[in-house]
Amino acid sequence: MVSALSIVTDPAGHYVHWGVILISVTNLMVIVAMVILFVLALVVPFPGTRHVDDQERREP
Amino acid sequence: MTTRMEPRAADEAGSWTANVRNRIVGLVPEGQALPDRQPVYVHSWIYVFGVATLAALAVVIVTGGILAIGGVAWWHVSSLGLFVNSLHLWSVELFFAFMVIHLWGKFWMAAWRGGRALTWITGMVLFLTSIGTAFTGYLSQGNFASQWIAAEGKDGINSIGVGAYFNVLNPGQMLLWHVVLLPFAVGAITVMHVVMVRRHGVVPPIDAADPSSPKEA
Repeated sequence: MVSALSIVTDPAGHYVHWGVILISVTNLMVIVAMVILFVLALVVPFPGTRHVDDQERREP
Repeated sequence: MTTRMEPRAADEAGSWTANVRNRIVGLVPEGQALPDRQPVYVHSWIYVFGVATLAALAVVIVTGGILAIGGVAWWHVSSLGLFVNSLHLWSVELFFAFMVIHLWGKFWMAAWRGGRALTWITGMVLFLTSIGTAFTGYLSQGNFASQWIAAEGKDGINSIGVGAYFNVLNPGQMLLWHVVLLPFAVGAITVMHVVMVRRHGVVPPIDAADPSSPKEA
């Protein structure tokens, strides 16, 4: 049985072949990680205070 | 001892140094070269990836400079060279990952709005130039991978008619493109891109008011 780690480290590489799309598993994992990072950047709150928000909250 | 200063008005009447100085000073609005406050919508992780790309580029340049001291084959024969080469590789990986996430964020914000077309264009040219720089880097590894990439790439380069001037099978030429010409281009376009960002301000989200162009809001 092939472990997940050996899929990444195998010099010959493993590929996902779907129609005209042919991509190595490692490149696909990098792209998936980037998409996850992009989504997290949109939904995870940024630390610190939003000074202008505080000012807006005081306004009627 | 004192130094006598000529009147400023006399300097500005046809002096190229005064003209250049005025152009440089006028590139960005006063106080915007290194601002310490930003609009509230910048308070989001999606606005971090531009400067993260710049930080990765700084590591790329420093590690590339150290590799240049040791030479092309250094990382094949030295554990320190291998370590620095790995830093160079992984900082490039992060550089491209951050740059592409930055691109995604700016694309969905339609970041060319509000007179920012040149900011968008310099960013795209910078992206393409960076790909060329990385390509010549892979050709400069001095191993079977670089030979394979060169052999595979030569037909593509020849098919667009520039193989006589940009010969991917010539490792010396590719190394000089990688360490001199393309880094100079990447550096110059990066400066232009950052100046454009500072000149027009950070693009707001689509539903937010743009402080730099009141008409658009």
